[in-house]
Amino acid sequence: MEMTEQFEKTARELEDRIRPQIEEAKKKVSDLNERAVGYIKENPGKCLLGAVAAGYIIGRIASR
Amino acid sequence: MESSESGTLNGQRTEGNSSRAGGGAISVGQRVDRVSDTAQEAWSRTRETVNELKERLDIDGRVRRNPYGTMAAALGIGYVLGGGFFSPLTARLFRFGLRIGIRLAAIPFLENEIRGFAEAVVTGSEDDEGESASSSGEGKRSQQKGSKGGKR
Repeated sequence: MEMTEQFEKTARELEDRIRPQIEEAKKKVSDLNERAVGYIKENPGKCLLGAVAAGYIIGRIASR
Repeated sequence: MESSESGTLNGQRTEGNSSRAGGGAISVGQRVDRVSDTAQEAWSRTRETVNELKERLDIDGRVRRNPYGTMAAALGIGYVLGGGFFSPLTARLFRFGLRIGIRLAAIPFLENEIRGFAEAVVTGSEDDEGESASSSGEGKRSQQKGSKGGKR
């Protein structure tokens, strides 16, 4: 019983410690996603050309 | 006299030369104008064509609706244009995708099969238990009857 309680306590502590970090990482990722989507929507031509160029280079490298 | 004649001759010559040079200069200018006009026309036509293509393909709308998908499609087009389609990397990616797709498709099928099998096993065991219980109950009853009959 003591072992289980100790384990539960450690798990809770770990969760309390990790949860804010996970939340922060989630927020950062969602911010990054929003910024990327916004940039793509603002400059569709640039992004499309860049993507085609990147694909072309990757294809060139892969074909060697 | 000779000098005057030659002068006139020279004058005529120079006039002719100047007229020729003037005509040449005009023609070069006209040519430059024509070339610039043609270039402008070609540029405007290209712009119109690009705009028409944009409108028809609805690139802006597609990008707004599905930005990552459009980028992935552009990346794929570039990859194919770069000659990477018939490459070992493509074969590897294709095999990987196929494996994942088969697994994803197979998992629900297998889940259903296993569920059906488990249900069949559970219901079969319940039936068996019921049957055995009923048979044991009948046996007990018969035994009880027998014992009662024996007692009687």
